[in-house]
Amino acid sequence: MTAQEVRLCGLLLQEHFGDVVENVGTHLIRNGVLTLRALAHETKLALDLVKKSLCVLVQHGMCTFGPGRRGPAGPVEYHINCEHILHMLRYPRYIYTAKSLYGDTGELIVEEILQRGQMTMSSTVKTVADRLTHNMPEGQSMDYNEVVSAFSRLVETHFLQRCPPMASAESSGTGSAETPPAVTQPSNPESHPDCYKLPYISLSGHGKRRRSSEDGEADQRAAKKAKTDSSECGDEGIHWQVNFERFHLHFRDQAIISAVSCKLDQTSGEIVRTMLRMSEVTTSANAAFTQALSANEIFRALPSNYNIARPILDQYLTLLVDDPMEFVGKAGDSGGGMFVVNLHRALANLARATLESVVQERFGSRSARIFRLLLRKRHLEQKQVEDFAMIPAKEAKEMLYTLLSENLVQLQEIPKTPDHAPSRTFYLYTVNQLPTARLLLQHCYKTVGNLIERRLYETKENKRLLEKSQRIEAILASLQATGAEATQLTEVEEMITAPERQQLESLRHHINNACLRTCGVNRSKPTRTCKLLTEMAVEPPRAQTSDLLAVRLDSSENQVDETIFLLESYINSTQASR
Amino acid sequence: MTEVKVKKESTDPVDIENRIKELCQQFPHGITDQVIQNDMPHVEAQQRATAINRLLSVGQLDLLRNSSGLLYRLKDTQSASKVKGSDNQEKLVYQIIEDAGNKGIWSRDIRYKSNLPLTEINKILKNLESKKLIKAVKSVAASKKKVYMLYNLQPDRSVTGGAWYSDQDFESEFVEALNQQCFKFLQSKAETARDSKQSPMVQRNSSFATSHEVWKYICELGISKVDLSMEDIETILNTLIFDGKVEMTIIAAKEGTVGSVDGQMKLYRGVNPIIQPTGLVKTPCGLCPVFDDCHEGGEISPSNCVYMAEWLDF
Repeated sequence: MTAQEVRLCGLLLQEHFGDVVENVGTHLIRNGVLTLRALAHETKLALDLVKKSLCVLVQHGMCTFGPGRRGPAGPVEYHINCEHILHMLRYPRYIYTAKSLYGDTGELIVEEILQRGQMTMSSTVKTVADRLTHNMPEGQSMDYNEVVSAFSRLVETHFLQRCPPMASAESSGTGSAETPPAVTQPSNPESHPDCYKLPYISLSGHGKRRRSSEDGEADQRAAKKAKTDSSECGDEGIHWQVNFERFHLHFRDQAIISAVSCKLDQTSGEIVRTMLRMSEVTTSANAAFTQALSANEIFRALPSNYNIARPILDQYLTLLVDDPMEFVGKAGDSGGGMFVVNLHRALANLARATLESVVQERFGSRSARIFRLLLRKRHLEQKQVEDFAMIPAKEAKEMLYTLLSENLVQLQEIPKTPDHAPSRTFYLYTVNQLPTARLLLQHCYKTVGNLIERRLYETKENKRLLEKSQRIEAILASLQATGAEATQLTEVEEMITAPERQQLESLRHHINNACLRTCGVNRSKPTRTCKLLTEMAVEPPRAQTSDLLAVRLDSSENQVDETIFLLESYINSTQASR
Repeated sequence: MTEVKVKKESTDPVDIENRIKELCQQFPHGITDQVIQNDMPHVEAQQRATAINRLLSVGQLDLLRNSSGLLYRLKDTQSASKVKGSDNQEKLVYQIIEDAGNKGIWSRDIRYKSNLPLTEINKILKNLESKKLIKAVKSVAASKKKVYMLYNLQPDRSVTGGAWYSDQDFESEFVEALNQQCFKFLQSKAETARDSKQSPMVQRNSSFATSHEVWKYICELGISKVDLSMEDIETILNTLIFDGKVEMTIIAAKEGTVGSVDGQMKLYRGVNPIIQPTGLVKTPCGLCPVFDDCHEGGEISPSNCVYMAEWLDF
């Protein structure tokens, strides 16, 4: 766990769950595995607070527990899963994907499960139906069956999965040697045979609309009813969680398809999309290639609105295979040609394009030329770099040294003599893709941490200022109502100092700008934050300035998260192949 | 009474020299001592040697060595007249420089070859330069190094740097202009191919341009004062590849088709980038020059970041 990752995890935990959980979580990350008592001692919190925090973390799948170093007889140790915490960055993207695939119902289901960590099917269905009914016009309500069908579609395509069963007996502090827990390690959810099996539940009815006037009573009644209801449905103890891996595979496929569409054309992108769709369930998560698909199968599986003739399809496939980016490869000649999608190579190309784009934006297009040159030709001397890149010697030297100081380019020494004399040594510049990708990934984590901190700071600052201005206005209004003199009014107005007034003005200016701009940026990707925008457009903007700035920062966090995803997938793919 | 005039071979030294010169003219590749001996058998070795030495010192004969022995060759009268006023050492240096051809030779190498001390070499070089027999050319590789070559020779490409250098200066604007022109040509070709709406294979093939076509286009465009060869254009196209704007394939071509080199042809095609600028660079942190110094609670921190303030204002 690098320092940046720890910092980011801490910020995310604090934002979503509060300070106590953040405290507990950070200590667990720093110390690896800890027992309950050790954890309470480290964090200096009360024992029941620590227990509740651990419950929250376990509920969301971020923390696992198991017998510790002293075996089943000793105290339980808790082990935190950092990757899960970092997935919290990507929650908006998961929700958006569910919405684009399965509509509002799917979106709400995924959102609910992400918020609660784990839920039973029946409670999910009820909650979602209630929420949908709330947004519908009067007199209509959402039928449970529709929600159930959306849920089952999500399970069929493996976006939701059952939580793995816990160890049957949790060993307590005293330990019971005669009943060792059945499962000693947290099992992989996929290893459970019923992972994607829907339970049979008897659930029928409609979503209930919450009437604001009867809120208090309705809540109590609903709560009581929920308790009695869940005992009626047949899915006790079967909890569902979001299958992050499946979402990640989907994002990866999307990235590959968009790259192909950009590089070649729309039809090639569709062909690759068809190929990936056909191999969704047959290819394992870390495979380097999809299953081989014959041209006949691809032709049959193309969407019907893409009316292309068979020879044209063959031509497209040949072009895809001949492309230097090697997205698609040919694996044989039977069935009109067997084709595979080269997943690892595609990820490597995407990561490479990301690195090149960072160098280009940060240092200019000539430095990007040198960087690409070194990626292609591996090792080059100073003079050769100048010759190939056609850049004057002085400027080329300066650019190379800048890249070297930023650790994007490395220097390899090859001595001619055993004494390594500098005049008799070859100095070769080189770029290593994998270490550079890791470096950029750490930069991304730091950037997201910075954006979150800035957002919290802006919110805090503006809140103070806004509260003050609201107080002043309230005083003014009350004074005016009671008929005060002009001098008293001016005295009160002067309580806001000039720079603060200026700040308020610029904040109002920010809102209008940020509102316009973020709406433009986010039109293609309505996230939870954009919903906030549309709601805010109706309400008076002044009270929501900090929220709008937060929206701007939030959307940029999502953009950095896309980079994080590409780089992480690339690094994981290289580890899997070892 | 017919007097049989027997031509007595006079042993006059001048006659010997003239005879030797005539022999040299007969055999322009050079004559060996053996040949002279055969021709004038009555001349003694001593006289022969003096004659040859005199010719050498006057500078009318060249002494060469080949595998079988020494060769004497008539020296070109023109060049003979040139170095007439110079002494042996200068002649030696001049010869070394002449041998170096149009690549020129460095003063240190002259020293090695002639075994003369440095001061002598410098004096001789200055002398020869003032007589306008040799000239110094600054090498583009090492700007302090001067190579010497004959006055009327054109320096070789490796010394001057070829078409991209004018007076030791790399012409970057020229290169940039060529770069852009080539790219525009390839891009427009790709666009016309895309718009033609034919089958994809035909589209792709028609978007390719051989290096020969690009060369012809650039020549016709006339933006270059210097003549550019196909290799020069290929170096420019390589820089476009390193910019990520162009890709290249090599196909086999029949010998004799225009533009093919050794049975191969290089084809170039304009391409689009595969991703948009990545998310990291859309934030101020991605481009920040003081990124490594930024910590919460420090002088530079996310809370008081100037770049972020500007970006949020924007």
